[in-house]
Amino acid sequence: MNNFTREMVDEYANKLLIGLTEEENKLVLKEFNIIDANMQLIEKFPDIKKIEPMTHALDSYEYELKEETGEVESIEIEDLLKNCGCYEEREIKVPRVIN
Amino acid sequence: MTELSIEKLHNLLINGEISSEALIKEAIAKSYEVQKKCNAFVTIIENAKAVEVTDNLLSGIPYGIKDNYSTKGILSTGSSNTLKNYIPIFDATAVEQLKKAGAVAVNKTALDEFGMGGTGTTAHTGIIKNPWDLSRTCAGSSSGSAAAVAAGVYPYALGSDTGDSIRKPAAFCGIVGYKPTYGMISRYGLFPFASSLDTCGVLTRNVKDAAIVVDAMKKQDEKDLTSWASKDMHLYESINGEVKGKKLFYIKEIVDESNYPNISEELKKHLQIFKESLKKLEAQGVIIEEVSIDKELLKTIPSVYVCISCAEATSNMSNLTGIAFGPRGNGENIYEIMKNHRTVGFSPLIKRRFVIGSYILQKENQERYFVNAQRVRRLIVDRMKELFKKYDALILPVSKGVAPKLDELNDEINDESTVLLEEHLQIGNFGGFPSITIPNGMINKMPVGINITGNCFDDINVLNIAYALESQMNYKDMTAGDYRE
Repeated sequence: MNNFTREMVDEYANKLLIGLTEEENKLVLKEFNIIDANMQLIEKFPDIKKIEPMTHALDSYEYELKEETGEVESIEIEDLLKNCGCYEEREIKVPRVIN
Repeated sequence: MTELSIEKLHNLLINGEISSEALIKEAIAKSYEVQKKCNAFVTIIENAKAVEVTDNLLSGIPYGIKDNYSTKGILSTGSSNTLKNYIPIFDATAVEQLKKAGAVAVNKTALDEFGMGGTGTTAHTGIIKNPWDLSRTCAGSSSGSAAAVAAGVYPYALGSDTGDSIRKPAAFCGIVGYKPTYGMISRYGLFPFASSLDTCGVLTRNVKDAAIVVDAMKKQDEKDLTSWASKDMHLYESINGEVKGKKLFYIKEIVDESNYPNISEELKKHLQIFKESLKKLEAQGVIIEEVSIDKELLKTIPSVYVCISCAEATSNMSNLTGIAFGPRGNGENIYEIMKNHRTVGFSPLIKRRFVIGSYILQKENQERYFVNAQRVRRLIVDRMKELFKKYDALILPVSKGVAPKLDELNDEINDESTVLLEEHLQIGNFGGFPSITIPNGMINKMPVGINITGNCFDDINVLNIAYALESQMNYKDMTAGDYRE
């Protein structure tokens, strides 16, 4: 069993650029513990490590390469900027990243 | 008129007994009424225009779109503050398909934020209420769509289903919820939650209507490489109600009363209604058998779902930064700006889900959580596929009873006693199986539902069994308040 702490929860939230309140942190801790208990059950399944992980809903899924048509659909920059909260002319504006 | 079925409305339109314009006007007027009571919509499309009525069954008929479908020029928020002003520049493929069929969208329905919830309480526009009883939940995440269809605003609304988001709201609102086989409908333009589980679908008031709408929505789409060719599959035309000799199974560990030592009167009644439904199918020549599945395996379903869905969601929603789109956050530097946007924008529930996803996806945790969850997903799906070799479908009651009261809700992971009843629909997403919920009874003037799930690509069979059962009951085309004990 992992020992989850408040600090750990805050660290993982911060990695996602999300801030949590005390209450939210407490609930995440509780859920971590429930999931962890179930994962312990899973680890006890015989030969679990030998099972191929299922990453897609359909087994019959076939990968097909798209034909190179030379035509690429593109979107006008002006259209893309319509939902941007802060831009100047044709560029998104952000604070300086490199000082 | 909007409380009628698609077939009936089409006939009235073709015969000139009603006009598309009048129907749309009625749907918009009803939308405002339902909004006051149920808070079901993010946007009501006031300027929706009538179209020419053609041979297409959907032409000229109004419908609703869940607000996690991209709609060109129409606000599409995913019911999140992070996209509260977002107006897409393209239509989702499913929406485009319906436009081609002549369907007319009259509103965008509210949902649990980005589809990540099952209570209808996390939309940025507020709590969505059940039209049968305003003090109760609709379930989620397709809460607004379920409320609107149940209230008779129009004959159908689009939903999406990652765990049970179409099929549980359908049960709680006394309507039909159909999640087709994964990939039958393109997901292009559906805001992604967990890509390996997300499925587009529909909520209607009868089984045939569900088939009609999905026939129009589906296509193999080069913009969604997980979509597959289904043009030779004609759902509506294939429904004939012939089910004699079909073999169904139910899972003992979910249905047997002995699993619930402190069983409530409501659950007792729900299980009794379920058994009566089985008898109705048996009377039509359907063979139904009880099957036992390892309870330890079944008990892992909620955690497997949480691990996979949270991990995929965390990755999918990393683009929500408020930089290129969405309201700009406050801060001195780019990280502060993004953190402010995400902290203020996301509801507490999905923040918690994201943090779980973040933990699961850490290199040192992936094998124990994410990969093991994917392994158990295969174990569950393999067991189901083995059963589908012998049986045509799985049949189970939905949830432990009627829609809970809003003030009794708990959005934490479910407690153990009834967890299997609450979470078994997730099996349908694990395997990409076609799955449909229909109403099958009333308890204390609230509807309850029954679910039928079949093997991948066997949608016609699933619809046909649902149609056969629907035909033997009195809950077809039911709207809220239309009590049918």
